[in-house]
Amino acid sequence: MHTLDVLLQQVVNGLALGMMYALLALGFTMVYGIIELINFAHFSVFMTGTFVGLMVLNLMGVTAVSASLQGPALVGTLIALFLATMTATGVLGVLIERLCLRPVRHVSGTAPMITTIGVAFILINVMLLTWGPQAQRFPQLLPNWRWGVGGAEITFKQGVLFVVGLLLMLGLWHLVRRTTLGKAMRATAQDADAARMMGIDVDRVVVVTFFLGSALAGAGSLFFGLYYGFTGYYIGYTTGLRAFTSAVLGGIGSIPGAVLGGLLIGLTQSLGGQFLGVKWTDVIIFSILIIVMVLRPNGLLGTRTPQRA
Amino acid sequence: MDLARWRALPLARRRQIFAVVLLAVGAAFPFLTGNAGNVDAAANAFTYVLLALGLNIVVGFAGLLDLGYAAFFAIGAYGYGIAASGQLKPEWSSVWDLFAYTGQVSRLVVPGQPDTVQFHFAFWPMLAVAAIVCAVFGVLFGAPTLRLRGDYLAIVTLGFGEIVPVVARNWDGLTNGAQGLGGIRTPRLFGYDFGFSPYPYYFLGLGLVAVAVWLSIRLQESRVGRAWMAIREDELAAGAMGVNHVHYKLLAFAMGAAVGGLGGTFYVAKLTTATPDMFTFPVSVMVLVMVVLGGMGSIRGVVVAALFLAFLQSVILQELTGWVHALGRLVGSAFLQRIELITSLELIFGVILVLMMIFRREGIWPAVRRVSALSPEQQAAAPSRGAAVQLSWSQAARADAAPRTLLEIESLSKQFGGVAAADRISLTVRAGELVSVIGPNGSGKTTLFNLITGLIARDSGSIRLEGQEIGALPAHAIVARGVARTFQNIRLFNNLSVLENLLVGEHARLQAGALGAVLRPPRVRAEERAAVDRALEVLGLFGNRLLPRLDHPAYGLSYANRRRTEIARAIMTQPKLLLLDEPAAGMNPAETLELMDLVRALRGLGITIVLIEHKLDIVMDMSDRVIVLDHGVKIAEGAPVEVRNDERVIEAYLGRRRRAA
Amino acid sequence: MMRRNLLSGLIALTAILALAWWPDGLDAQGKVVKIGLSLPLTGADADGADAILKGAQMAMNEINAKGGVAGYKLEAQVFDSATPAAGQYDPAQAATNYKKFVADSLTLAAVGPVMSGEGKAISPILSEADMATITPSSTNPDITDPKFQSQYRPKGKAVYFRTVTTDAYQGPNMANYLFHQQKMKSVYVLDDGGAFGVGIADSFQRRAGELGVKVLGRDRLDPKEADYKTILTKIKGLNPDALYYGGVMQAAAKLAPQAYEVMPRVVKAGSDGVYDLSWPKQSGKEAVEGWLCSQASPELVTSPKVEAWVTKFKKEMKREPTNYAITSYNAVMVIADAIERTAPKKPLTRASLRDAIQDTKLGSIQGPIAFDANGDILTKTVSIYQWRDGEIKYVAVAPEK
Repeated sequence: MHTLDVLLQQVVNGLALGMMYALLALGFTMVYGIIELINFAHFSVFMTGTFVGLMVLNLMGVTAVSASLQGPALVGTLIALFLATMTATGVLGVLIERLCLRPVRHVSGTAPMITTIGVAFILINVMLLTWGPQAQRFPQLLPNWRWGVGGAEITFKQGVLFVVGLLLMLGLWHLVRRTTLGKAMRATAQDADAARMMGIDVDRVVVVTFFLGSALAGAGSLFFGLYYGFTGYYIGYTTGLRAFTSAVLGGIGSIPGAVLGGLLIGLTQSLGGQFLGVKWTDVIIFSILIIVMVLRPNGLLGTRTPQRA
Repeated sequence: MDLARWRALPLARRRQIFAVVLLAVGAAFPFLTGNAGNVDAAANAFTYVLLALGLNIVVGFAGLLDLGYAAFFAIGAYGYGIAASGQLKPEWSSVWDLFAYTGQVSRLVVPGQPDTVQFHFAFWPMLAVAAIVCAVFGVLFGAPTLRLRGDYLAIVTLGFGEIVPVVARNWDGLTNGAQGLGGIRTPRLFGYDFGFSPYPYYFLGLGLVAVAVWLSIRLQESRVGRAWMAIREDELAAGAMGVNHVHYKLLAFAMGAAVGGLGGTFYVAKLTTATPDMFTFPVSVMVLVMVVLGGMGSIRGVVVAALFLAFLQSVILQELTGWVHALGRLVGSAFLQRIELITSLELIFGVILVLMMIFRREGIWPAVRRVSALSPEQQAAAPSRGAAVQLSWSQAARADAAPRTLLEIESLSKQFGGVAAADRISLTVRAGELVSVIGPNGSGKTTLFNLITGLIARDSGSIRLEGQEIGALPAHAIVARGVARTFQNIRLFNNLSVLENLLVGEHARLQAGALGAVLRPPRVRAEERAAVDRALEVLGLFGNRLLPRLDHPAYGLSYANRRRTEIARAIMTQPKLLLLDEPAAGMNPAETLELMDLVRALRGLGITIVLIEHKLDIVMDMSDRVIVLDHGVKIAEGAPVEVRNDERVIEAYLGRRRRAA
Repeated sequence: MMRRNLLSGLIALTAILALAWWPDGLDAQGKVVKIGLSLPLTGADADGADAILKGAQMAMNEINAKGGVAGYKLEAQVFDSATPAAGQYDPAQAATNYKKFVADSLTLAAVGPVMSGEGKAISPILSEADMATITPSSTNPDITDPKFQSQYRPKGKAVYFRTVTTDAYQGPNMANYLFHQQKMKSVYVLDDGGAFGVGIADSFQRRAGELGVKVLGRDRLDPKEADYKTILTKIKGLNPDALYYGGVMQAAAKLAPQAYEVMPRVVKAGSDGVYDLSWPKQSGKEAVEGWLCSQASPELVTSPKVEAWVTKFKKEMKREPTNYAITSYNAVMVIADAIERTAPKKPLTRASLRDAIQDTKLGSIQGPIAFDANGDILTKTVSIYQWRDGEIKYVAVAPEK
């Protein structure tokens, strides 16, 4: 393989990886935009989504070793899978908000974030205790088609991930910019008290935002499972931190920022791995996080500054 | 000894007795338990207590959520490990002669190869070295977080917490990578080698914990501790009271890191190995859970919670599992017979975090705040009115003194977005004056105050205090120069008592630093006493409204008392210029009159006052001059009577009615 | 208010003290030798540790059924060396466990530890106490290497015995096999960042270099990372003959399917870290197909000599055995044999038992067992296996050169 081919392949890898981070970052950045809280639990909801997806598929009789599906059966299964899982994770997100986050929403200081860390730990360990520490195979529903482009190879899975990710971003963008609900969300994000005075039910907006964000995490989780073919109790942590860095890099609260940030981080991971070796990936990405936060807290496309209150 | 006599003892004496009792129990424990395994587990637990106390300084005192605390644990551990094992073998040179002479290194002679240095630095000086090195890293890791909000600060610390073990794992030359360090030398004391018996480590750990507790208590009850708590409660207000948040945040990180470094050195000297896996995120979380469970800022709570959780992990859950298994055999449940409770420990951690944050944020054993009950006389307000007021540090204006300019503002401008909040404002305030600033809402009055006190940066123009330019100074430096303010919507340190709020106000006038706080030499003790005396003096200005409540937390005061406390706190900074932002807001007529008496009295003490007020009767009554702002522009200035009849002022307040007619 | 806080504080303190005082288990009756078993029974390595525990227990049951040895019954003292904070074995917990063994006068020897990371922490403790442990699975050579004697056995005498050979042979012998049998001329080496993985990858890499194989590169997989495509793409670009993975299952579970996707035709090999019966379940049969792996012992489980033993194990312990269950069983047998040789002639102490273990010459189902002066087993057999059709099949003894 020529070096240029390798490079091209790494770019493809990086973009696909980045789209995964972007999907996760989208939901996270939406929630942050509304309640200005770093929701650690978001990434555990993502992880839980993969297990929910597994259970849904098992209920439908599809396992890692069952016969592969074709055509309408495949499409139907996928639609059912996505609907069920996204609803489930959406509900989980709402439950978390209601039970754990709302009581501490108005507490200043470190309490809200500590609560989300606690929730994250609970979810991780419930999954660990239920499913065990070993990786679980995720049924490979998407066919393994691949095409050569230049010297690189793009798989069908990567293509689907990319396309659906972009569609979701556009859908979300449309929702936030053009619908009444979106306007309510933006208003609440800017000034919750003023929004309340304008007749917006802030609590409901928060619930809807959490539902949407968590449902997005659910979609991301299914992509994770379908793309990588496995899941484990720990995947929320590493992927989550990279997604978080993507959100911050792109600009916290900005939807196109989440996608841009995700793609950039994905490319950093693949190209950095190619040139420096993957054992430094963590250090590189965390350094980016720290540098962005210190020098340009707005990120690339964001308008709000995570400055001290 | 019954409870009443116990309470009658002074706090210091009670503490001494407690300390002796606890130390005696601690010293007796190993001999009472008779099981070396338990002593060993206890010695390990002491490590966690140390870590929890260190994190308590950062999270509990200063309110900085550090999620990567294990990094300092690692640096202390590896620091000692590298210095006391054979990991590094630089070539011998004369640089090492001094160390060889003092027994810290040896010359390794291997035939056929150049001589190398064998490190075996002694444990005791390395404790100090590790603490210092970790303090430096604390500053390094804390510096990027200074401008960040709480949750972002946490994420950056998490980042550092992740980077350190990765570096340890990848930097083979320094740390032996994933294999870790082995053969780390155990401590030696006067020829006695601690070896592998748990007993010397137990006592060493007990000693280190005692030192850390003492350090924490000293810091907490000092100027430094108050500064930390002020930052934790309200960073903005802390700056406005003279607390340099950069300095104190870095100090918190440094001290917290230093204690963590002590823990690391102790742990690794006992274990004789160090691997990167020992310092990962779950360890940081475990220490955080200990602090949260015990109570953030509560030293005794943190110690007990740390001991409890450490034992939970190493002993209790396993014993419980044994009982559960036995129970399972009894009832014939296969599930019960196989369950391992230890695997649910992290689940327990998560549950603890969530439940504590929702239901009991102050922890299970928070530091008790003894609030003295009020007698009926004390509950009835007896304001002091019209009495002559005297403060020990004030300098009354001499009647014959020539009027001199105190504050001079020239062409001050500030824009937010496209809106000019201040548009080339110029004004002067002479010493001893009482100037009022009035104007409709949104005219820029509070912005003016914020600009003068350094809370926001000006776009252009100059601000001179006594001839010196202060426009570029940070808020705390301006306080030191003699400018103090209160806030429109009252920013007290809610969880601190009235007295503590006032003492923070005096921050800029006191000098004790961290060293003075810990060692408490006579000079510092005298300073603290004087500070309290001055605070009581100022509280006395408010009759019996605040004095009986001086140990009550600020969040529990009535609205009017909160205002008074805030004003008292501002007075404590010994200002030359006092900026009061709507001090009478929300007060009834009687309270307003009382307040105005106080303001007059303060003038009598030589303090220059600039007042923002909406109650125009007060303004007219008290002011020497009135300045009127509208949309960031000064539209009128002069004696109250002149201003009141000024057309532009009327228009600004009432709108352009006459045009419409 | 204050009283309630004081009360809760006192309750907490009392609870801690009470549990500290709590007696540790029942005292044994009659002549008993306790064997300490400190194993990571929870966490990531639980399954392997469980097999080892059951191997030892089966041996002790057998011996006690015959009335014990030299009048002594054998009793196991089992402690968990894993902690949740570590998620796996924790050297500090292992050290605490071994200190408990040392503190208990009836414990005269130990079987374990499972992981070398624990071994490094406990070896000095054993040396100090002149007590022997026999590990069925710890393969890091440093612990018994005379070069590191001052670190791991300051008193000089061997205390860390093994019924399994070390990575000093496991890694290199696999390199030998790949070089001779698979005609490997270039290789890329990966590890998983763990103490075991890095060690064995290092030893493999060194040997490969000695054989003249081109080592195209070395990198590290993050077990918590999901995506290995980056490094696999890079490796594919370099076009090696073989890929060697030193490490355990957490990364292997993801490495296999992704390597299968990116470079299906490259020869892939691992250590005993990937000799894990759950691998096909975690990664899929096709992904695992063709992977080579090793064991630091002669092939035991499928050998006909051992068949009877395997049947008995499966019946009694209700699980599949692993090779290390057998080496664990043999470890207990070594101890029993040592007791038998010592007790009639000398008082049975830790030191005398250690001496007797050092002089072991015992036949067993894994072949003859004897130890060199460092505590390593004399037979340095490494076995090669290959995954075929979802099952692990014995291939050959790895060449020693």
